[in-house]
Amino acid sequence: MAVSSPERVGARDAPSSSYRLEQPAPGAPGAGAEGLGGRRGYLLFAVLGASVLAVAIGALAVGRYMVPLGEVFRILVSRLVPLHRTWTVTDQDVVVLLRLPRALLTVVVGAGLALCGAVLQAVLRNPVADPQLLGVSYGASFGGALAILLGLSTVALMAGAFGFGLVVLVVVFVLGRSAGPAPTLTIVLSGVVTGAFFSALVSFTTYIANPETQLQSIVFWLLGSFATATYSADLVAGVPVALGAATVLALRWRLNVLSLGDEEARSLGVNPQATRWCLLVAVAVMASASVAVSGAIGWVGLVVPHLARPFSGSDHRRLLPAAALLGAAYLTVMDTLARTLLPTELPVGILTAVVGAPTFFVLLRRHHRRAVWVDV
Amino acid sequence: MTESLTRRQFLRAGGLGALAVAAGLQRSRAAPSAAGITVVDQRRVKIHLAHPARRVVTIPEPAASMLIAIAGSVAPLAGMNRVSEAAVDEGILGVMFPQAKRLPDDVAGADFAPDVESILNLHPDVVVQWADHGDAIITPLEEAGLNVVGLDYGTQADLEAWVNIFGTMLGVPGRSRQVNSTMAQVLAELRAEPKPASPPSVLYFFTTVESLVPAGRGTYNDFYIKLVGAKNAAEAITGDQGAVGPEQVLAWDPDIILIGNFDSGTPAKFASHPAFGALSAVKNRTVYKVPLGGYRWDPPSQESPLMWRWLFELVQPARSTGNLRAEVKSYYKFLYHYDVSEAQIDQILWMGLNSSATNYGRFKS
Repeated sequence: MAVSSPERVGARDAPSSSYRLEQPAPGAPGAGAEGLGGRRGYLLFAVLGASVLAVAIGALAVGRYMVPLGEVFRILVSRLVPLHRTWTVTDQDVVVLLRLPRALLTVVVGAGLALCGAVLQAVLRNPVADPQLLGVSYGASFGGALAILLGLSTVALMAGAFGFGLVVLVVVFVLGRSAGPAPTLTIVLSGVVTGAFFSALVSFTTYIANPETQLQSIVFWLLGSFATATYSADLVAGVPVALGAATVLALRWRLNVLSLGDEEARSLGVNPQATRWCLLVAVAVMASASVAVSGAIGWVGLVVPHLARPFSGSDHRRLLPAAALLGAAYLTVMDTLARTLLPTELPVGILTAVVGAPTFFVLLRRHHRRAVWVDV
Repeated sequence: MTESLTRRQFLRAGGLGALAVAAGLQRSRAAPSAAGITVVDQRRVKIHLAHPARRVVTIPEPAASMLIAIAGSVAPLAGMNRVSEAAVDEGILGVMFPQAKRLPDDVAGADFAPDVESILNLHPDVVVQWADHGDAIITPLEEAGLNVVGLDYGTQADLEAWVNIFGTMLGVPGRSRQVNSTMAQVLAELRAEPKPASPPSVLYFFTTVESLVPAGRGTYNDFYIKLVGAKNAAEAITGDQGAVGPEQVLAWDPDIILIGNFDSGTPAKFASHPAFGALSAVKNRTVYKVPLGGYRWDPPSQESPLMWRWLFELVQPARSTGNLRAEVKSYYKFLYHYDVSEAQIDQILWMGLNSSATNYGRFKS
């Protein structure tokens, strides 16, 4: 087993580079727990689950409109049991109609994007894989931008984004079916090519958009935002992400096997092609749904799995739920900052990139020192 | 105490304005001579024309309608931006000047990059282009031997400079003086109006459908909100590029909300937001769609005095003269030499979309 060079680790254009994370040494974070269980494993999920809850409550408590923290709690509790009303209608609207659906959406999308990244990095055996590498995000972006260009409704925008995300998956599937001895390479190249095609279509929509009436809306949407979050959007994203998450979590052991390589998978009785496409469909569904409600938010799928691995280890039975929880907390924090730092909303996609790029660089340096990224 | 504006005063304004002439000529000076015309554009570049421009191509969106207003006809307009053409097709300008609908609109892309070959085919005397969007969209035109007049955008001074430049370019400086003096007179009279002891807060939105983009400090909208004695609810932000969240709108809780013409937003759509029912403006039904005439009333244009008057009526209803419809009719006659019908005035003022708004009944015929 040879230690990889940092150049190979960071080479997005070298998807054939075999990749997995070395199992942590005994005593290191994440070691010792078996499957989802084990004392350390349960502790990890308890901490991450509590973090998501704390971050979500924090998101409900802060914003441009001042609602005292005590009133936030009373408003939330009043949804379950009758309480003497000490808050205004506006306080209640802000918490119940604006912040709560938005926090739920960031939790759902954050978890979904992180799962997408973790699965793709294993399936494609590429540490820099994320939904954009598969081209799905670009397809979904085009669908949404096209809906704005045509002046269609928000529902049509979501449907367009979701639909074109799945169209990309079908195209990648058709191109990838011809896979010979290096199927992951074919899938990645198909994703890159299809993504580039739809990226060009996105550019075309922005080019022909009316600069006075459409361009700003398209650009703002493409940059990623949760400003239009509603309970309907929660449902639009929540159902596909839940289905996708259930699928990939059910296949978490097979994902471990798949990350060893196709030959090893076959020897262990796993059909690599079928498993791979099943996982990719789940990823495409989650990524398309996420883009449909929030625009293209980059770096979450890429960075969060790498943030989770030092704690969960590289066993996907622990990594997947850990990445999902961490992604939920991470994106909720980013969005809370995006909507509170300035009077104007900072597109959250900008913030995730600004924070994600240096974070990834730090992780790269740390992993390089620890020789964690390895060639198989 | 200054009296409220009367229709007579407003109409008289067209003949007034020695001061306005001086103000309007600040950034553009014409030097007509036997050798032709010299126009100084907003880059401070001198453009020499052998004769008044007879064929003009306009790339900035608002320029086409202003050129028509200054010329008094569509004749000098040889071609325009596709976006300007769309505005002509959709608005009343296309009704007033149907021949404008048939003009070439392939002179530039949405990014204002000129299609030089298409423009050369039109043999223009002058091409009007943005001066504040970089040299890349001007240089190809100049290298093709075309006369380029560069324009800046966003302030009342810019607007007055446009009027002067167009008048000079077309050989009708007297017409420019008329338009600018009208604006100056209305400005002076509104500035002389007593300000409310407790100015209402006004929040203007460029877009409300996909994103809430308000006009902050320093915008043209900020200028006229303050001109009519109100305060800008979005004073805390600068410019017009940032979107705000609904929570920020609730925190501002403006007295009056103006829905702009840069997307399909309407007062009803805005009020249907699940959290906006708590806004004072929604409860008091003081959410208004800004009128759309020969051009949008929200950005700076030759129709801006009507925007100021319309907003004044809504901000200070007690001082209203109640004759905006007559002023619209007279001003359109002055600008476009066209008699707008009562139905067309209803359309311009969005009487349907604003039908249930407070104080809007005063604009009924």
